[in-house]
Amino acid sequence: MLTIENLHATVDGKEILKGLELTVPEGEVHAVMGPNGSGKSTLAHVLAGRPGYAITAGTVRFKGRDLLALSPEERAREGLFLGFQYPVEIPGVNNVYLLKAAVNAARKHRGLPEVDAFEFLTLVREKMRLMRMDESMLSRGVNEGFSGGEKKRNEILQMLVLEPALAVLDETDSGLDIDALKVVASGVNTLRAPNRSLVLVTHYQRLLEHIVPDRVHVLVNGRIVRSGDRTLALELEQRGYDWLIGEAA
Amino acid sequence: MSAAVLTRLRDEYGAARAALPGSVIDARRRSEAIEMLCAQGLPAGREENWRYTNLRILDRARFTPAQPSAEALPPLPEPLSGFARYVFVDGRLRSGATAPHGVTVRSLLSGSAADGTWRLASELPEARLALLNEAFATDAACIEVRSEAAGAGIELVFLAAAGADSGASYPRVRLALESGARLTVVERHVGVGEAPTLVNSAVRVELAPNAHLTHYRLQHCAARTAWFDTLTAELAADARYDLLAVGTGALASRSTVHARLTGRAAQLALSAAALGAAQQSQDMYALSEHLAARTSTVQTFRGIASDRSRVAFNGKIAVREQAAGTDSRQSLRGLLDGAQAEIDLRPQLEIYTDEVRCSHGATAGKLDENMLFYLLSRGIAPEVAQHLLKWAFLEDVVAKIELPQLRRQIEHGLVGRMSEAVALKELL
Repeated sequence: MLTIENLHATVDGKEILKGLELTVPEGEVHAVMGPNGSGKSTLAHVLAGRPGYAITAGTVRFKGRDLLALSPEERAREGLFLGFQYPVEIPGVNNVYLLKAAVNAARKHRGLPEVDAFEFLTLVREKMRLMRMDESMLSRGVNEGFSGGEKKRNEILQMLVLEPALAVLDETDSGLDIDALKVVASGVNTLRAPNRSLVLVTHYQRLLEHIVPDRVHVLVNGRIVRSGDRTLALELEQRGYDWLIGEAA
Repeated sequence: MSAAVLTRLRDEYGAARAALPGSVIDARRRSEAIEMLCAQGLPAGREENWRYTNLRILDRARFTPAQPSAEALPPLPEPLSGFARYVFVDGRLRSGATAPHGVTVRSLLSGSAADGTWRLASELPEARLALLNEAFATDAACIEVRSEAAGAGIELVFLAAAGADSGASYPRVRLALESGARLTVVERHVGVGEAPTLVNSAVRVELAPNAHLTHYRLQHCAARTAWFDTLTAELAADARYDLLAVGTGALASRSTVHARLTGRAAQLALSAAALGAAQQSQDMYALSEHLAARTSTVQTFRGIASDRSRVAFNGKIAVREQAAGTDSRQSLRGLLDGAQAEIDLRPQLEIYTDEVRCSHGATAGKLDENMLFYLLSRGIAPEVAQHLLKWAFLEDVVAKIELPQLRRQIEHGLVGRMSEAVALKELL
């Protein structure tokens, strides 16, 4: 699904990713963990194509294609989804319009007709119930006046409706209380499928109690320094990152 | 501005005066107006409150009123259901309707000499183009609303059909609401043709105690029109004036609004949106003068300047000594959409008393990169994302339009002004 080789990326001339290697096979859930400033969010943004990052070396293949050659919107239409750490508020752009426009953009890309308005709303309502979101949020501006937890739920709602092939969730657990974390995790879990992959970018182990990953990678100073199964996350919880930072240096 | 223009203005007035109707403006008042205007001179760019106006067009404009056109009307905006529509062509009433209960609508062209003695209620130099209207006006709509009129609707359509070679157009309106009366007015300024056209409108609003006027003003003039406009309003105690202006048309547009809140607890809400594209200039000067206790003003402006256009809003709130307890809010925002576009926002506050609550904010900038990337990351095409964000930017004003049919018309009008917005239309 996703193959990253020797990825180097800089922001304002400062190198953040320094030869990152990561392979996420189809149907698997991978967690990328690491201390502050290790490059986790940069990785998520580079994958989604955010402007402001310069790729200085390396390749990223997504479903066999050169991901870096695609524009952000093409990546999304191809089935890449970024769950934002800090979803923006866009007053005046209606939530349901955005969802519908996003779904139709992807359908058009695949040569499918536009979604039926009634079926679409039925689907969205069903997913909203799953995310325990109030229906009134549909008619509001995108994330407008939403609490931190509501914004994260809205990200997952969008993901559930868009059904991406690869979802990269950037610190989706940050700022969530334990109940909201469970709702978000169960939403993510409903999307686990043999033809779909997930990358969870997170600081903490606690999200991984609810979304059990197939593999755990540790990102330190712009590189994956260790990979393992879920027990690696538990080890990090016990020992922190310092021992790996020492090894990486 | 040169003396030659004033000489020409006087000459044109001298040649035209005999044919100008005294029932619209009394002949003596017309002469007074032209003398007052010539004494002050036409507005000039060196004046602080005119510096963002495209005034060059006045140098070569023909001031004489256009001859009445007998041509068939071009397609006009769809009439609003429940509204009585009056159509003025080049400043003269062409077609009327049956006025709603409690409302009198008269064309002063067929009025008496006693009708032609009013002028706009402002001595400000910013309002002096109303004197030009007073000198040359060829007709006036006089709308009187009695207290039994509750929520009636009037639609005024001013069509500028003549090119500047044949003369200017002078829409003129007086709106007087008696105590407790309520009225909604939709005032549209539209145009036809590619010829340069001068329009100079003057509107006087008088609200008696507890009257409530909702006034929508839409400027969609033709591409080479110069639209100058002056509106004065006087608000007695507990009167409420909701003024919402949307400007998208004309080559050069300038609107001056001078509202005087003379009665206790009078309320003014002025919302304006302006779109500039190509070489357009959209300029508005709005003064809200608080002259009584517990009065309030809310000013909201949203402007988008694209290409090489200039969009300006100069909003002043003056709180006089006697206006303790005034509450005023100003929110002015501009969006720059082009390296050569210009936004000029001037929030001004003048306070001569204590115990007031006045807030103001003005920001101008480009489209928010974070918002843009968020939409792209959801698969939205860049041009659609930009249109969506521009649309959202205007929403603070557009959302205040309480008539669904009008709101839809304005939304489609605004979308139509945003090029390549087909995809966006589907979302509305």
